[in-house]
Amino acid sequence: MDTRLVIQAQGGDQEAFAELAATIADRFLATSHRILSDIDLAEDATQQALLSVWQDLSQLRDPARFEAWSYRLLVRACYAEGRKSRRWAPNLRLLPADEPMAADGLSAVVDRDQLERAFRHLSVKHRVVVVLHYFLDKPLDEIAEILGVPIGTAASRLHYAMQGLRKTLDADAAARSREVAG
Amino acid sequence: MSTDRELPRILRSWLHEDRHEVAEPIVDTVLAKISSTPQRRTRRTAGRDSLVNTYLKYALAAAAVVVIAVVVINLLPGSPAPGGEPSPSPQPTPSATASAEPSAPTDGSLAVGSSHVLWARLGAYGIDINVTIPGAGWFGAPGEGVLKKNNNADAPDGAGLIVFARTNDILVGLGDVYVYGDPCHWATTKPSTPVETVDEAIAALSAQPSRDATSPVDVTYDGYAGKYITLHVPDDAVFSDCDEGEFRTLVEGQDTPRSHEDPGQFDLFTVLDVNGELVIFDVAYYEGAEGTPGSVLDEMAAIMTSATLEYVD
Repeated sequence: MDTRLVIQAQGGDQEAFAELAATIADRFLATSHRILSDIDLAEDATQQALLSVWQDLSQLRDPARFEAWSYRLLVRACYAEGRKSRRWAPNLRLLPADEPMAADGLSAVVDRDQLERAFRHLSVKHRVVVVLHYFLDKPLDEIAEILGVPIGTAASRLHYAMQGLRKTLDADAAARSREVAG
Repeated sequence: MSTDRELPRILRSWLHEDRHEVAEPIVDTVLAKISSTPQRRTRRTAGRDSLVNTYLKYALAAAAVVVIAVVVINLLPGSPAPGGEPSPSPQPTPSATASAEPSAPTDGSLAVGSSHVLWARLGAYGIDINVTIPGAGWFGAPGEGVLKKNNNADAPDGAGLIVFARTNDILVGLGDVYVYGDPCHWATTKPSTPVETVDEAIAALSAQPSRDATSPVDVTYDGYAGKYITLHVPDDAVFSDCDEGEFRTLVEGQDTPRSHEDPGQFDLFTVLDVNGELVIFDVAYYEGAEGTPGSVLDEMAAIMTSATLEYVD
């Protein structure tokens, strides 16, 4: 990240902020889309996070920490949108109709379907650590910094998130086995 | 597919699939809005005062130790109400703490006489708080801001000390403290803005219904000014009737609430202004014949007396 842009934007330079926003927006949208599993909510979260970056930039102490700081704002926006999601969104089973067929065939498609549903069963808090770790490739210390929690807490959340995914996937597999047997 | 070895790989692959997001219209919308959206002022005080504060901190440290000792003792059971006559009770005795023989813990508790990191800043900047463990049976993970006697803060005789000291130096919102309008119905009474000053925090705490708040009293602690009050969780409070079964006084950031252990709990809240950041200590205990033993109250006083705050600028 270009800290020069960050410093200029902190001083109220809107052109610098425009350049900064263009740099981070794609990653913000991709990240929030994966956390929220809903493109409309993700767009709202991205927009809110970018606005927060602008509004709160003067509170950023160290421009070199911009990335962690900005992801913190994005995570907060996702939490807010996630609460809306719980109120309004039905828990639909999504089929990967527009996804390209993977090289490993039908079983992989089924796996993605299962994974999507298992992922939706996680709380937003748990989805966040999974996406930060497995999508953005953030190590635990950076996740802890983004979330503002001790490293042990970040590790614990990731552990329970993965455990939750496994449990749901195993339960799904068991249900399918019973259907086949029946 | 869900074996331990396969899941991370499949998950990573699934997350990295192209999902055709287009962010450009969002950026355009945001840029159209910022011309009419001012940047917020910073809450943090300027670093130019740090040298003065450092000087004052050391100059006042000796006096502050005595002040805190009196404060804590005055608020513990059997002492006059805050703001009343000076307590004739003996003050906690740092010399007794110093003379305690360090002992190796065998049960996971902290060694007597050891220095314990009560709170550690999360990033390069922030606040570090250290205390000395005055007696046996205190449990707490380094840097997590919690100490419990015998690992128990529950009624009828538990005791604990909690500190809220996250700062906004790196991440906005991290150190924001929101005091609920109603600790039982906290889900619908969280204010839209955090408390930003000691007076705001104390006023919000004092305003909570059914808490029997004591009058706020000024205090200077390790060179940092603040105030303290005591709040009480009603003896007849039914936590299961409260939102999510929790009785909450406040929440720090988005996800660190102070949820009380049991009805009847007393909480001595000390709010300090540390270079523009709020630090809140909560000393929790129970009164009555079956309540927290006096010796444990003395130890909590000693812990507070021993505490040092370092603001890393």
